[in-house]
Amino acid sequence: MIQQLEPILTVSPPPHVHCGRSIKGYMSETLMALLPAVVMAIYIFGIDALRVMALACTVAVITETICSKLMKREQAIDDFSALLTGLLFAFLLPASSPWWLVTIGAASAIFLGKMIFGGLGANPLSSPLVGWAICRISWGGFMDTNATMLTSSLAAPLQQLKYFGLQSIQSIQSSSLILGEQLGGLGEVQIAALLAGGVFLLIRRHIRWEIPTGFIAGILVTAWIYQLIDPTTYASPLFHLLAGGTLFGAFFLATDPASSPIGCIPSVLFGLTAGAMVIIIRVYGIYPDGVPFAILLTNLFTPLFDRIRPKPFGGPHKLMQKGMEDAT
Amino acid sequence: MTTFSFSLHIGETGPLVKGSEPDRLRIPIPCHTPILAEGDQVLAGTKIAIANHDGSGDMHAPLAGTIKDILPESMLIKVSGKDRAKAKKPPAEDGETIREWLRDLGVSVKNITRSTTLIINAVPPEPGISIYEPLLRDYRKTLELGLETVQRIVESSKIFLAAAKGNRANAFANCTVLHVTPIYPNGLDEIVVKTVTGQEMLPGTLPDDTTILSVKDLYFIGRVMETGRPITETILTIDNQNHLIRVGTPVGFLVAESGTMVQPGDRIVMDGLMRGLTAINLEQGVDKDTTSLQLIREDKGLKPTDNFCLGCGECERHCPARIMPGMISRCAEFKQFERAENFHIHSCIECGICGYWCKAQRPLLQYIRLAKYELALLRETKTPSQPLVEFIETGQNGEKE
Ligand code: SF4
Ligand code: SF4
Repeated sequence: MIQQLEPILTVSPPPHVHCGRSIKGYMSETLMALLPAVVMAIYIFGIDALRVMALACTVAVITETICSKLMKREQAIDDFSALLTGLLFAFLLPASSPWWLVTIGAASAIFLGKMIFGGLGANPLSSPLVGWAICRISWGGFMDTNATMLTSSLAAPLQQLKYFGLQSIQSIQSSSLILGEQLGGLGEVQIAALLAGGVFLLIRRHIRWEIPTGFIAGILVTAWIYQLIDPTTYASPLFHLLAGGTLFGAFFLATDPASSPIGCIPSVLFGLTAGAMVIIIRVYGIYPDGVPFAILLTNLFTPLFDRIRPKPFGGPHKLMQKGMEDAT
Repeated sequence: MTTFSFSLHIGETGPLVKGSEPDRLRIPIPCHTPILAEGDQVLAGTKIAIANHDGSGDMHAPLAGTIKDILPESMLIKVSGKDRAKAKKPPAEDGETIREWLRDLGVSVKNITRSTTLIINAVPPEPGISIYEPLLRDYRKTLELGLETVQRIVESSKIFLAAAKGNRANAFANCTVLHVTPIYPNGLDEIVVKTVTGQEMLPGTLPDDTTILSVKDLYFIGRVMETGRPITETILTIDNQNHLIRVGTPVGFLVAESGTMVQPGDRIVMDGLMRGLTAINLEQGVDKDTTSLQLIREDKGLKPTDNFCLGCGECERHCPARIMPGMISRCAEFKQFERAENFHIHSCIECGICGYWCKAQRPLLQYIRLAKYELALLRETKTPSQPLVEFIETGQNGEKE
């Protein structure tokens, strides 16, 4: 078939049409969804918040570049995934975090959370949370929003609940929680802004309803059960929903594609488990906010959840070897 | 790219147009063994190659000419003269005799076996392929003859005609019409069988008492019965127009006929955009089962990447076989083909939908096909790709008489 080779045709496997989505598109729309929270964070915590976010993003991108170089991999920073990881990590930090903490955390989020497992899509745990966990365990004092921001007049609902009991949070209005007037990670507490971003992602179908719904349901139901047991010690489900990083976790952390299950039922179960775990950690754990650890723990069960599969079409089936076929 | 629609709804289509005669034919024979040699003269209808696989039809020359070149995957015939081989008379006997007679004339008889239920698939296989429409409208007689002939072998008590809702489909005698939702992949045989019988069968297999044929199959069987001459044509949708095209017509010839210029880097897709393969160059000839020809400009088609799987699950959510294409492709990517079986690779009906939705633009269907192929080699389930020597000899002698 050598004759008449001109013009040279493209030979490519099917399908030849595509829905038009790309990794870069997904990452940039997720960044867009975070934008309102970024603005709110700067509005509430001031220039300090901007400093932390900018530093975390820069360090994340630089770390990924170095890692790709060392691993002799094609540079893929232009897909914005490192930027997203950096920003998500920054959202979990107090605005007062020192520069070295931000740097170490963002670098380990990329290195230990993502690249060491083979890069984008291979991370078994949500990468920003890996960075967060390392900082939290190593330098807990600096990560404690309450202790580091004593000068602020804002309430720290989860810490107050933990250390001073239910009475201390009675005065906190739900509406001020929604508007982000609480201490916590600089971005994770921007409830209204995050909700808007989450809805945007849902509408654009970048995330599916199963995980956020499961997560929120898990939180509400578990908190409600505790409240039924003893309404004088345990806070209301609504409080748990609005305080701390619950919604941030539901829409942005638990839905990380690589570390969450794939199917519909597994996703719901994953969300429910993570949600329930949040309340359990908040009630019994030593850390005031249970969201990051709850999601990290539940990530570990993702492979198990993924084993819940519908029956495959016409199957299950394995090709038999010739000899095996005769034997049966 | 995003304007692609999965709808199987077909609007008005024109009549079947007869394709013009090219001066050369490049007949694809990747699964056939040639029985003639370079330099041999052939008449229109002379058998030139016999099928390697049981039940596949033999290959015949569509036009008279001289065999110029024989390659493993194709045979080049330079067209000259108008002589035709003698027409054959259909046998009076039913069953195996007529089945073998049909196969000898190029009909693929794999699915023509005795069974109680016969399904006629009139649902477009892929969006934009309207080959069944003009047949159902203008060639009733031929289709009925085809069905009658098939019934002499199948002897089924129930006949179903599966059609897409909203598309034309008039029933044949004793036949129930069944409408399916006109959305891809509902026209693929596996899904049609499921809709009609309620049984999900592993791709490539059929329920014991059921068989499925397409309207195109019926048409060509009818034609063979009418004329006594072998199948040497196929029906292609090109630009919403259906053409009766000789097997082996080079794709470049067809594209030129349709008045389009091919630019370097374009791709010519044979069959639908979801499953079709691309022609390797303009000289490649169309095959008997090609259903359409589409030109995709260089900047339009999906360019597959070697991006890593994000694990987003888009592919899984759209997969009609309810499997995890992402995981299977990861297995194939790292050559762990046996692991792919744990993810039920054999349930894949090769519809290509996963690749359409993949955010990372991974060539998922290709990974799956590769893994299936490697598994078949590994398990030695591939059938030998050579017909028996006796067949070759009788084929050669038969033609030389
Ligand atoms: S080609 Fe993809 S979407 Fe279609 S059945 Fe196979 S795995 Fe599923
Ligand atoms: S759609 Fe693509 S990236 Fe997403 S899980 Fe499937 S293969 Fe992976």
